[in-house]
This record gives sequence, structure tokens and C-alpha cells, in this order.
Amino acid sequence: MSDQIFLELDRLTRVFAGTAAVRELSIGVAEHEIVTLLGPSGCGKTTTLRMIAGFEHPDSGRVVLESRDITGLAPQKRGFGMVFQHYALFPHLSVGANVAFGLETAGHSKQGIDDRVTRALDLVRLPGIEHRSVGSLSGGQQQRVALARALAPEPRVLLLDEPLSNLDAALREQTRRELRTLVKEIGITTVYVTHDQEEAFDLSDRIAVMRAGQLDQLGPAEELYHRPSTEFVATFLGRAGAVESIVDGKADGEVVRCRIAGDVVWSALAPEVDVGFVSGSKLRLLARPEALTFASTDDDAAVRGTIIDRRFAGSVYVYTVSVEGGKLEVQTDGEAGRPGDAVAIVPRGAPVGIFAFPPPLQMSE
Amino acid sequence: MSTALDRCHKKLTPRARLLVVAVFVALVWAVIYPNLVVLVESVRGDGTITLRHYAEFFQTPSELRALWSSIWISVATVVLSALVGIPLAFLFARYEFPGRRVLGALAAMPVLLPPLVGVIAILFLYGESGIATRSVQTVLGLDAPPWRLQGAGAILAVHAYSMYVYFYLFTLAGLARFDPAVHEAAASLGAGRFRTLTRVTLPLLTPALAGASLLTFMTSMASFSAPYVLGGGFRVMTTQIFNSKLQGEVSMAMVETAMLAAVSLLVLWPLSRWEGSREYVALGKGTRAARMPVKSQWAAIGVPLLACVGVAVLLLPHLTLILVSLVPDGTWTTQTLPPEYSLENYAQLFGEARTLRPILNSLLMTSAATFVSVALAIAVGQLVVRWRVRGRGLLEGMLALPWALPGTVLAIALATTFSVNQPWVGRFVLVGTAWILVMAYTLRVLPLTGRAALAGFRQLDPSLEEAAASLGAGPWRTLRRITIPGLLPAIAAGASLAFVTGLGEFVASIVLYTHRTRPISIEILSQLRDFDLGAAAAYGVLLMVLVAVAFTLGQRWIQGDRGAAV
Repeated sequence: MSDQIFLELDRLTRVFAGTAAVRELSIGVAEHEIVTLLGPSGCGKTTTLRMIAGFEHPDSGRVVLESRDITGLAPQKRGFGMVFQHYALFPHLSVGANVAFGLETAGHSKQGIDDRVTRALDLVRLPGIEHRSVGSLSGGQQQRVALARALAPEPRVLLLDEPLSNLDAALREQTRRELRTLVKEIGITTVYVTHDQEEAFDLSDRIAVMRAGQLDQLGPAEELYHRPSTEFVATFLGRAGAVESIVDGKADGEVVRCRIAGDVVWSALAPEVDVGFVSGSKLRLLARPEALTFASTDDDAAVRGTIIDRRFAGSVYVYTVSVEGGKLEVQTDGEAGRPGDAVAIVPRGAPVGIFAFPPPLQMSE
Repeated sequence: MSTALDRCHKKLTPRARLLVVAVFVALVWAVIYPNLVVLVESVRGDGTITLRHYAEFFQTPSELRALWSSIWISVATVVLSALVGIPLAFLFARYEFPGRRVLGALAAMPVLLPPLVGVIAILFLYGESGIATRSVQTVLGLDAPPWRLQGAGAILAVHAYSMYVYFYLFTLAGLARFDPAVHEAAASLGAGRFRTLTRVTLPLLTPALAGASLLTFMTSMASFSAPYVLGGGFRVMTTQIFNSKLQGEVSMAMVETAMLAAVSLLVLWPLSRWEGSREYVALGKGTRAARMPVKSQWAAIGVPLLACVGVAVLLLPHLTLILVSLVPDGTWTTQTLPPEYSLENYAQLFGEARTLRPILNSLLMTSAATFVSVALAIAVGQLVVRWRVRGRGLLEGMLALPWALPGTVLAIALATTFSVNQPWVGRFVLVGTAWILVMAYTLRVLPLTGRAALAGFRQLDPSLEEAAASLGAGPWRTLRRITIPGLLPAIAAGASLAFVTGLGEFVASIVLYTHRTRPISIEILSQLRDFDLGAAAAYGVLLMVLVAVAFTLGQRWIQGDRGAAV
């Protein structure tokens, strides 16, 4: 993003009982931008969000808002709205009182508070439920009240901690569209935490993929999908088969030639962080199912293998094929064989969706 | 990530630090210090430290007998209470029959009788001139009463009557807590009733049974009313201490107090660690449940009948108390049942300043004690659960300690510590004032409110408080608007228990009261001494009603709040 950084996480580190939950994490969020922290459970994304909110104090590093260091600022003084995973609606207060809570602390007049509560509930499309008790609401309604409560005081930053994880699948999908529309309408800077890749794709301007307390890659969804910088990012966002390969020289630019399954050579995109792929060194080659197709078995550029699984995914089929040195996945429009069939696989064309990464052993420093 | 929250500590503000220091100082001064004074006094010779008094204790047969009596009575009480309470709980938990709910609730009724009131109710019923005793004597045409309600047997009977409730309630709660699916799982794996009981049900109940055993044992060790009223020549430690104090044997009273405290703590420590072990095997309870009727026709008649008869027996003391409270002074002499009834005693109770005084005293002192102990408990909860201050284990320990120490020990410790004026070491003359009773009540109920507040804090989702903070609420506003309302159910439960306990308090009161500050329990005793049985019973009924009201209100508050909760 070219915009100036609005909210900056500067080398944040948080250690729990000797283990770094978050290590040297730096992310810049532009104004009006939605950035998602995406990663498996335990990757430190929630801890990061809580450091932004002020509930967690970093052991080192800074949280900076509009060039002002707010690392030591109490949560209640930050003016950030937060939606909690289990909503944390105050069970003893009515819906209206919940939404009004933040407005009261801000010292609005009674009339001003009522107006804003009404507006906030309208915004989340739950008009006129001020007097209901929060216990009488459905999960989806609770989620929206929690959002209305967070938005009512017009916070400068909105923080969402897996806010959709307690909704059922259909509602989740619908809600995340609405959420994006709403947040974009208001134009509020948002940091969103989830472990769900689809949710991240749907909602975010940019996604920060986290693993073991560190940032693997930060960028728009397309970039992460098409140019993953690590094997983890490649497999966490979308499917990919993987086989062992040996470098067979560098082609132009970011493309590296890889020998797989004995003597077949495919071109693959190497990560931007070029670790100096030397001919003869080992790499892992990952291929997205849609980047590959079946060919006739006498094709020289084809890798030969055996179908071991076939999945029907609605408009397409995805085949898992056992090949020398690994397994590949191939997506086809129609049926192309059954488990046990011998097949040959070739790339569809340019090295799109085929990546080469250093093997895991070398990756762990 | 609540654990993460707990671990991360925002630095405490100066005002918060002040609170931490104040709470520590208050608890150390009120809970620990008086006991240390007792310990020091027990080894004080003429200006030197001496173990002479302890040597004397161990060389006096009557002292050793009292110590041994306290211990065996307590063990026997545990066994007897378990034998009554556990089967009763299984009966109500496992069988559906008409009237089950009502009878099940009535089975917990002894809890409504404060210890002294329970004792006198039983005295009116089974005492030498009690209703049941006279009935049997008349029916069998005997010259003398068929039994005498005195000595160890009488104490045990009263103990079992009032303490089986712990086993009953703990077992019910234990049975309610675990998933009925485990029984189905056991059945699907081919286990019969007996095997399910011994391999599944009882092991799962072990923590509940261990808890009930511990509570019963400690209550029995601390029991004063029953041995005091019914003991006769049979002495246990609590009555022994009281007598030494009365006779002015100060050093011996100190040693006895220290010994009783030591024994209580010695038992508490391993027993509380044992929770979760297979203790139920050693105690050998519950096998009776396996012999419960299995044939449905038999059960259809037998079970409700058994429940009715059992509950009737349990309610007889309450009914007797009510009956005797309606008897005008001096009209009941040798008849089996009192010949005359009126509301005279109640009219007198509320009609005269002299008789109203103890009621007001009890209400005021108990309210004050409840308020202070709730405030302290909330403060400790905040310190221990939220701020996780250093020394939180010590804080929790100090909250619980008055529970482990018998009321007699507490009272003697307070009376000793606060009988001299040495402000520079934190000793003031409180003896003779209402404050020392308020202090004693506060300490006695502190474990109840403390446990409730800690549980409340632990159940309260920390993200509620974070949500408040994220909405701009400062610590004070968060506490007022979110934390305390969230704690209300737990606090209401703790406070109502505390109030009920304080109202009927007798053990510490009898050491600390003066004529001006006498509470209801002391008044009951003195009416009894004057043979004004009707008045004593009327006070007893009043206590019973107050206790019932406090319980119901506490319960309603809890449920009312739950209804609105998510």
C-alpha cells in the first residue's frame, strides 16, 4: 500500500514462560485499510491483536498510531473498538445498555447516546432491539450487537478477534460479506484475526500470514496465492501437491528449472528472497492443482504416476497422483480416470502456480 | 487467551498498591496475629519461654481423654453422616416418584437449624422429658424414661442429624455434575449395576465425598453446642477450653486452644490433599446404594414410603420446636404433649425491649460482619484472580484459615489478643464491646464469602472487563459497572450463607458476649437455664425463619440473575 502508515507494529515481541508467542513482528496498516492476521492456532495472531488493543504488553517493540507511540497507553485510553471471539456482551445489561456503554464513558449527553445507539443498531441491521436482553439473541444477533457496541463510540481502529468463529457456516459467509461492506462504508481502519483462509480472502485488503510468532508474508490475497514466499504460505492458502526436486540451473528472472521424478524438468517460481539456488541443490517443488493437467503418457515433459484419490468438488475434479518423490494434485473439468490408473502430468503452461522452496531442513535456521 | 491476560501484568497504580498493602495488613492482623498471641501465651512462663503448660497437658488424663474424644467423635460423625446422607442422596437422585422434589428439598431442612437450635429441638423431642421419650414411656408403661439423652451417644446422634446434610448435598451435587452418558457408556460396555456403581459412580463421586468428609470432620471437631448442652461429664476439646477459661486457668486454656488448632490443621492438611484419591474405599460408604430396590413394583410403593418416613423423622425436631414455642410458660409439666397453646411467647418476644434486644443485636452484628466480609472477599478476589499479586497463595490461605480453626479457638484468640491496650503492637481493648463480636463473626464467615467471591471472579469472563476497557471504561467504572454486577450471583450466595451463619452463631459468642451485646443464641441458652422452654423455642423458631428467608432471598437473587445471563 502506498498510503502512509496509520497503525504501525514495530518489532513486537511477547514472551510467555520462555517461549516467544510473537517475535520481532512488524506490520504497517494504512488508514481505512483492512489487514487480516491469518495463521493456525498458536501462531501468535491473537496475542498480536491484544497487544494492539493494549491488553497485552509487549516485552519489546512498539505500537505506533499516527506517529505516536501508544505502547504504554491503557486500553481504555486508546479509543480502539474490539469485537471479542465470544462477543463478551455484558449479560446483565440490555442490548441498548451494552451499545451505550462506550458512549457513556465518552461522556455524551443522554440524547446523544440514544441517537447513536439507534444509529449503531441500524448500521448492523438490528433496529429497535434496544430493550431486549442479550441472552435472548441468537448467535448471529449477538455478534452484530457486539459489532454495534464496538462501533458506536466511533473508534479510530476496529479490532476483531475471530468474530465469526461461533457462527454456522452459511451465516458466517453471509456475515463476512456484510462485515466488509459495513467496515468499508465507515472507512474504519481494521485489524482482523482469523485462522480461516477463505474469510481472510473475502474480507481483507491485505493479509499477514503468521507462523510460530513471526510474519511469513504480508500482501494482498492474490499476491499471497500466486507468489507465496514460503512453503507454509503456499499450502496454508490454497491446495498444492509437493515433490522433491533438484535444481537444474536458473532460467530467467525468478524462474528456476527443477528436475523431478528422475529426468523431467519443470520451471518453477522461486521466492523473491532468493537464497541462491545452485545447480544440484535440493528443492521442494509445489504445484497448485489448477496449474497442472493430464497428458499422454509418451509426453517427454510429463511426470508419470498413479492416481490414488479422486475428489469431486462440484464444477471440477481434483486427482491426487502418487509420483516419484511425492504427490501431485491435478484439477480437471471432466472425469479423467480412477484410482489405480497410470497417468502422466504436465504443467498447463507458463510457470504459474508452480513454486520451488528450499526444503524444510534448511529453512529452520 | 485468558491465561495470557493473567500473566501479563499491567503495573499497579499507586492506589492499587495501597489496597494490596491494606488487605494484607488487615488479614494478617485479624486472622494470623491473634493465633500467634495464643501460641506465645501458651509458652509464656514467668518472663521466660517454657513448655511447662504443654507438659502439664500431656500428663493430665482428663485433657488427653478430651482430645481423644474430640477425634473419635469426629470420625464416628463422618461415618454416621455418610451412612445417612449418601443413600438418601441416591434415593432422590435415582428414583422418580410422586413428591420427590418436595421431599428432596425437605431432606436438607436440618441446615435451617443453627447448631444450638438443633440441639434444643432434639432436647425437646428426645430429652429426658421430651415428647418422643414420654410417648415411648407411656406406650410401654415404663417407670423411668427409656433413654437418657446424654454423653457421647447423644452428641453423635445430634451430629449425625445435623451433618448428614453435607453428605446429602455434596453427593447430590456430585451426581448432578457428571454426565449421565458415563452410565450409559458403562452399561454399553457390559457393566451391571454394581460394577457401574463401584467402578464408575463412586470413583467419580470421590472428590464430592472427600469434600463432605472433610467438612463433616472439621465441623464436628469444632462442635460446641452439642457437647456443651448434652455432654454431661463427657468432655471434648471445645468444652474443655471453655471450662478452663471459666475457671481462670488461662495458660491451660491457651495450651488447649493451641492443641485443638493443631489437631484440626493436622487433619485438614492431608485430607484436603487426598481429594481425588480412592478415599471412598477406606470409608466404605455407598455400598447400600447397590442394594436399593430394583423391582419396579416394589420400588413404586417402597421408595416414596421410605422417603416420606425418612423426611418425617428429619422434620420432627423442627415441628417440635414450633410446638414448644406455642406453649405458655409453666403449663407443660408431666404430660406427654403440652396441654395448652398460645402465641404468648411471640408476643413477649417482640413486645419488650429486653427480649427484643438480642434480636436487634444479632441482626446488626451479623449485617455488619456480612458487609465487611463481602468487601474483604471482593478485594481479595481482585488481588488474587485479576491482579495476581505476589503472595496470593497466602491471601487465599488467610481467607480459608478461620474455616480450619474451630470457633472456640478463634474466640479465645480474639479474647486474649484484644483484652489489653497496646496500640503499638496492634492490640486494643475490644473485649466487652460489640466490635469484638462483629470481628469474630466476620472472621467466621470470611471463608464463605471468600470462597464465593474467588469462584465468582474465576467464572467471570475476563474479556468482559477487557470489552469495558476497550470501550473506554477505567478500572473503577469497570469494577462498578461490569465486575461487581457479574459477581452478584456468587456474592449473593456467599453473603446469604454468611448471614445465616452469623445469625445463629453461638460458639464464639458464648466466649465474647456481654449482657448488652448478647445475640439470640445466648438468649436462647439463658431462657433454657430459666426453664422458660417456650421462650427459648420461640427464639429458635425466629432464627429458623430468618435463616429460611435469608436462604430463599439469596437463592432467588442467584436465579433471577441467571435468567438474564447469556
